[in-house]
Amino acid sequence: MNMELLAIFAGSSIRLAAPLIIASTGELISERAGVLNMSVEGMMLTGAFLGVAGASITGNAEWGLLIGVLGVIPLALLQAFLSVTLRANQIVTGIGINILALGATTLAYREMFGARSNAVIPGLDKWSPPLLRDVPLLGSEVLNQVWLLYLGLLILLLCAVVMRRTALGISLNAVGVSPRAVDQSGLSVTRLRYGAVIFSGMMAAAGGCLLSIGNIHTFTEGMTNGTGYLAIAAIIFGNWKIGRTALACLLFGAASALQFQLPLLGIQVPTALLIMLPYLLALIAVAGLMGRQTAPAALTQPYQR
Amino acid sequence: MADHQDMPVPALSLQGIDKFFGAFQALSNITLDLLPGEVHCLLGENGAGKSTLCNVIFGVHQPDSGVMFRAGQPYQPLKPHDALTAGIAMVHQHFSLVDNASVLDNLLLGQSQGWINYGQQQQRIKETLQGLGLNLDLQVKVSALSVGERQRVEIVKCLLRNPSVLILDEPTAVLLPAEISALLSVCARVANQGCAVVLVTHKLAEIQRIASRATVLQNGRVVTASTQPAREIDRLVRAMIDRPGQTNVTAPVVGDPQARRYTLSEEVLQLDGVTVRDALGVTRLDNCTMVVNRGEIVAIAGVEGNGQSELGAVLAGMLPVSDGQIYVAGKEVTGASPQQITRSGVGIVPEDRHAVGCITEMSLTENLLLNHMHHYSRYGFLQRRKMRDRAQALITRFDIRAAGIDVPFGGLSGGNQQKAVLARELTLESLVLLVAAQPTRGLDVGAVAAVYRHIQDARDRGVGILLISSELDEVLAVADRVVVFYRGKIMGTSLCGQHDRTAIGAWMAGQAA
Amino acid sequence: MSHRVIKSTTVQRRADPHLRTLLVMSGAIAVAMLVAILMILSVGVPVSEALAAFADGAWGSPYAIGASINRSLVFALVGIGFVLANRARLTNVGGEGQIAIGGIAATAMSLYGGCEELPYGLAYIVPILCAALAGGIWGAIPGWLKARLGTNEVISTLLLSFIAVWLLYWCVQSVSLLRQPMTSGGTLPESLTIPDTTQLPLLWSDSGLGIHLGLAITLVLGIVVAVIIQRTRFGFSLRAVGYNPQAARRAGMAITWTMVAALAIAGALGGIAGAIMLQGDQYSLKAGFSSGYGFDGLVVGLLARNSITGVFVAALLFGFMRSGGINMEMVAQVPAALVLVVQAIVILTLAGSAIWLSRKGVKV
Repeated sequence: MNMELLAIFAGSSIRLAAPLIIASTGELISERAGVLNMSVEGMMLTGAFLGVAGASITGNAEWGLLIGVLGVIPLALLQAFLSVTLRANQIVTGIGINILALGATTLAYREMFGARSNAVIPGLDKWSPPLLRDVPLLGSEVLNQVWLLYLGLLILLLCAVVMRRTALGISLNAVGVSPRAVDQSGLSVTRLRYGAVIFSGMMAAAGGCLLSIGNIHTFTEGMTNGTGYLAIAAIIFGNWKIGRTALACLLFGAASALQFQLPLLGIQVPTALLIMLPYLLALIAVAGLMGRQTAPAALTQPYQR
Repeated sequence: MADHQDMPVPALSLQGIDKFFGAFQALSNITLDLLPGEVHCLLGENGAGKSTLCNVIFGVHQPDSGVMFRAGQPYQPLKPHDALTAGIAMVHQHFSLVDNASVLDNLLLGQSQGWINYGQQQQRIKETLQGLGLNLDLQVKVSALSVGERQRVEIVKCLLRNPSVLILDEPTAVLLPAEISALLSVCARVANQGCAVVLVTHKLAEIQRIASRATVLQNGRVVTASTQPAREIDRLVRAMIDRPGQTNVTAPVVGDPQARRYTLSEEVLQLDGVTVRDALGVTRLDNCTMVVNRGEIVAIAGVEGNGQSELGAVLAGMLPVSDGQIYVAGKEVTGASPQQITRSGVGIVPEDRHAVGCITEMSLTENLLLNHMHHYSRYGFLQRRKMRDRAQALITRFDIRAAGIDVPFGGLSGGNQQKAVLARELTLESLVLLVAAQPTRGLDVGAVAAVYRHIQDARDRGVGILLISSELDEVLAVADRVVVFYRGKIMGTSLCGQHDRTAIGAWMAGQAA
Repeated sequence: MSHRVIKSTTVQRRADPHLRTLLVMSGAIAVAMLVAILMILSVGVPVSEALAAFADGAWGSPYAIGASINRSLVFALVGIGFVLANRARLTNVGGEGQIAIGGIAATAMSLYGGCEELPYGLAYIVPILCAALAGGIWGAIPGWLKARLGTNEVISTLLLSFIAVWLLYWCVQSVSLLRQPMTSGGTLPESLTIPDTTQLPLLWSDSGLGIHLGLAITLVLGIVVAVIIQRTRFGFSLRAVGYNPQAARRAGMAITWTMVAALAIAGALGGIAGAIMLQGDQYSLKAGFSSGYGFDGLVVGLLARNSITGVFVAALLFGFMRSGGINMEMVAQVPAALVLVVQAIVILTLAGSAIWLSRKGVKV
């Protein structure tokens, strides 16, 4: 495999991993705080649609992004309300919201654009880091990504720092391991968890926007197609650590990129197997075959004084 | 008694506090004052309401009636945050620390804002620790700490807030002697600095050492108080365990304990050098060797937390031994599964029946037959009629009061639940040994009498009984032999008719004979 | 904490749990209906036209009724499996994958397993049994992981579900597996049609209903599972493990085996659902075979609140709704996605009120 193919492969991997990285960063914070959002899929889809709708109406992709990220907040609030305040089963509510998002976005899209739309929708631009962009191959293929990815990486870094070195980080970590300790220290479990869920929703929406106005500049019904669940799988594979989760996303992105890369090399591997690979890896991780799994102790458990 | 005009303003004052959980009254007309600078012991048996009272003070629960005052001002906490703001801190019985975080992070939880300057914080905390005469490794993760060390972290966490009222809920339940000493010194020191310290306990040695005043709770009420607890221990103990309407606590003795129908050499239980170390490496049972014979009641006495729970769990097959062997009727059962132990003829009435003894959501019938189901099924199908008949027979024989045989088990009163568990275990096929752990805890007079009657019946039939109980008076009245445990070791054995309370008391406090 | 427990006679006055369930369900359906009508209006279609199309598709003709019922069978089987596993406090989220794996096994056996030549009856029973076995294995794996390693079964069943769905996709894409021989570039990725003898016979074939034998199979399995839960020793262990695993262990019950068996049976039922969908309805394996059925079956199980009868009722509801929705889209141009929104509202309302619904008396 020559350098050019390798660069294309690397670039594709990053491009495919990008929505996962953004969505899983948000969901990781939520899970560290003890709330499992099975609805990442639905939030991504909602964000994807709202991004497209917003971009189309305003004629500006960045405004679309803003609308996407802010517009998902009511949905995230719903998830938080159900999971934290009403203490409902987090699996059920997650799946419910996914179904809701699928139905609602399909309906709304048909309404706005008709069943088969050729509307031109402004897309998000690509961007390369300043010094490296002139490096051949590296600059043009690998690092030339939609700018949202770089923002996402920045946020990821920010999250890592916050979790390690701020009072908020200590509290978030604590509320997922021992909500009772948090309550007895005088902090509000509810507020922490609501915040985490809303953050997760917003990040998922941003990931969805990356898919729609970032990559393909349009919306198709049900376009997330399991990416949200992959984000959850990446977190499991990354053992609930920020850095490892990002690497897991990259790995999953690479596995997806293989779909396009292997045929170029003349290797025929069934697409389905490559798509299945991330889930298989996550299953192996969950079966403890890759070292002990340390999920946050209070994950999926609602708190009551 | 000091003149009323000179009495300092109570740091905390409770008047007429009531607390209901549904129809159940946990606290009834509690009135008490906490003065700054004192160590106030709150005494009472398990279930007396001590923890509930602490939770009400700390804002975890809200009282249904009554008022509270903090330094003269009305005080109505709706959540722990309010209590903390008012200068009240609490060390809970079940620690709430964040396992995967360092000690330092745990101490900073809720006490810091924004960016954390770790160097600065560490310095600040180290200085505070020095001032208290305590030592903590701030970098290590809490999951690696021993139980005593974890508790120290909890206490330091509270003290960092400079509270005016410090509540400790059963703090010594899981500590080693040296740790208990250290803890009590900290309490004394903190009290000297002006804090009002509330020490919730049912252990007498602690009262003697540092209590300035004591209040006794029973069944959610204040039954007595003392301003000189160290000198009035007996009165306080009586108040703790005396049940209203009953002047003495001895169990009815059925039959002549001296007339044994079985020769002493028929052993039903033999423990040989049994040692148990828990997950943190703390030794809970230390080289225990003892026997129980047919037709005899052997009691394990000792203050709770000295290895009795572990002994019960080991005999039930729920906890593995680290060393030693166990034999039932001559057959080795070390490491056997619960099912195998039951089939060897061992019946267990566990200490916490709700945890392992019964399933409250299932019916009375199902609970009565919980571990015998293989007798009531044919080709996999349950034989309902046979189950009902058997359940009815047991209910009648053991006088279990319930609305019907299919009511949920959780709907029965404590006494009837215990009778049901006893009924199930005592009617095991080929029962040779009954292990009864704290069988009368939380029961009323009538139920206590019934329980001992059944136990003595079993003894008369030739079953060996191992009675684990912290109710010393009951035990002394019923047992043929009393074995005293302290810190997992057997301190001594006292024979029937020669029960020497002084010696037993000394063993219970850890003094070798 | 005290060991005193409240006697059943002193429970506070609260609404009877069944009444509360009814209230919540009616409330949910009412809200959902309202939202549906609003959506229909917003699409610009007259409400009466939309509802007429819906009714037509759901129960408007014998064929429609039959199609609805056939659909509900799949939901019902997954729901029954869910309820059984739920008794042991195990949540099976892998219905979709179990249907897929059952479909794969049934297709393979019908086409290439020699079932065509088997005597009447066995020809269509054997593929079903193989599907049950495949689904059973798919369920046993998470069961074992949970019992031995404490792995959260929600995650493991979900992951296995995705794996199975993509396995199916692979099978129908690959000629060396189940794909029909490619005669041209445009040959669709699906299997050959299964032989007539392996197809499930119709019940009441002259009525035009089109309901196949799967109905009988599902009803029988529903009754069998209900009996297992209430009247067998295994069912007793299931319930005991679900309520209090420690006490069950102390009472001598085999926790590991109970958990594995519970999820294996749930998986097997999912596999059977896949088989009857193949052999009763579709007659060939296509990509997207199990799409949406698994999650819907899961929701049916949840709505049923642990009652097998409830499963059948909810399954029928979803079956009719799905048929109605499809027709509504085809005829009245109202997107079938509306049905999804209605379902979601019902699910979320029920999930949100779960705590309120489960209060029988007071917990101390």
